Amino acid sequence: MAKPVVIVVGADKGGVGKTTVSRTLLDYFSANNVPTRAFDTEFPRGTLKRFHPGLTEIVDITTTPDQMKIFDTLNAASPSVTVIDVRAGLLSPSLVALRDIGFLDAAKSGQITFAVFHILGPSIASLDEIAETANFMQGAKYFLVKNFINNTSFFEWDQATYNSYFHRIKDATELTIPKLNEMAYEQVEVASVPFLKFVANKGAADEAANYSFVLRGYVRHWLSNVWTEFDRIKLTDLVGTKAAARSGEK
Amino acid sequence: MPTTPVFIVCSPRPLVGKTLVARQLSEFLLLKNGNVTAFDINLKEPSLLDYLPRITETAEIADTFGKIALMDRVILNDGVAKVIDLGFHAFDEFFRMLEEIGFMKEAARRGVSPVVIFLGDNDRVSTQAHDRLLEQIPPTALVVVDNEYVVRGELAEAMTHGRLLRIAALPMFLKTYVDRLTFSFTDYLRSEKDSSTELHQWIRTNFVSFRELELSLILQGS
Repeated sequence: MAKPVVIVVGADKGGVGKTTVSRTLLDYFSANNVPTRAFDTEFPRGTLKRFHPGLTEIVDITTTPDQMKIFDTLNAASPSVTVIDVRAGLLSPSLVALRDIGFLDAAKSGQITFAVFHILGPSIASLDEIAETANFMQGAKYFLVKNFINNTSFFEWDQATYNSYFHRIKDATELTIPKLNEMAYEQVEVASVPFLKFVANKGAADEAANYSFVLRGYVRHWLSNVWTEFDRIKLTDLVGTKAAARSGEK
Repeated sequence: MPTTPVFIVCSPRPLVGKTLVARQLSEFLLLKNGNVTAFDINLKEPSLLDYLPRITETAEIADTFGKIALMDRVILNDGVAKVIDLGFHAFDEFFRMLEEIGFMKEAARRGVSPVVIFLGDNDRVSTQAHDRLLEQIPPTALVVVDNEYVVRGELAEAMTHGRLLRIAALPMFLKTYVDRLTFSFTDYLRSEKDSSTELHQWIRTNFVSFRELELSLILQGS
């Protein structure tokens, strides 16, 4: 039986694009035929669920019943990959909870594959977040995601300062999410469909849609760049499958 | 289903004859098919809109709204040939956009046949632009225009390897004549009884070149 994989997407700061990155991950796994389930911790109304309603369940990760719902079903659940979109401010508390329930130890001993996509914001506070999060990362794959999607003037940190934080974490990997045309981003928001369906000109129920060719082109180009980053970090290897010909890239 | 041609007349340099070629091509297509839609992306040059106001629309690609308004019409396989007169200032942005939105692939999927008609010249900007087009546009969809009036000599060798369309230079008095806003190539062919005049032959030669170009598109699509 495949080893369960848990991917946590989070940041302590809000508005840095956690849900956008989660959406690209779900699209990536879908295109690579990796069965995936997702948990949206934006309780009670989840943004991720709006885009991926079939895969996503809204949970309150601070409560024990919902923690059980996620982690007690890891081995039982048929999709071996679980993506958790952690809402703003909950990354550190969630990691503490994971440590307390013994999840991090299980990851360390290799029973579970655990990856964290830490979405960085533009402020220096993100560097402190890195330092804080690093304490929990033994046994985990740690990805630092520079997300340029909603602002181009990010990351004007002093490089030396950034490196000093970055190098505290062994084996951390940097990822860059490029900027997406604002209008294209807005249209996908309005359509409330996964990026892949928008590119394929389909509605939520796979019905034919009438999105702009130009905007679909921008999304396709952007998504392809994001997936190139995921390919670079060998994400499919991480979840135990090999990348095959993708349906969304034809 | 037959494909719909989209002709993109372009150059990164001003005053090389883009609008002249776009005018002639639009008139040829109108004469032959009975319809054509032309798009004028010129802000700083004499524009196609001034010459052919009934079939020409202005287009703008400086913002996303403009790009949508233009490209969502250009990508339609509706049987109406399109001609885009692309001003030199919009050259980089336009082809960057085509690349980003995957226009060539999507056009092939939808039965639209883009043809880039590049006005060649021997300066560095034109050479670089041509190199870029070679990377982006399949050779069968790229036509270099050797406009004798502009090039005045041999065209750079790199531009002569693919499809070439030669346009002879007109004497200055005839050029001034065809540059008048009220001048129509088709009307001239219809009204001028003497087919031996230089202008008559010049127009006919160019129209034959366009017909050959269109024929090769049809053969490609079959």
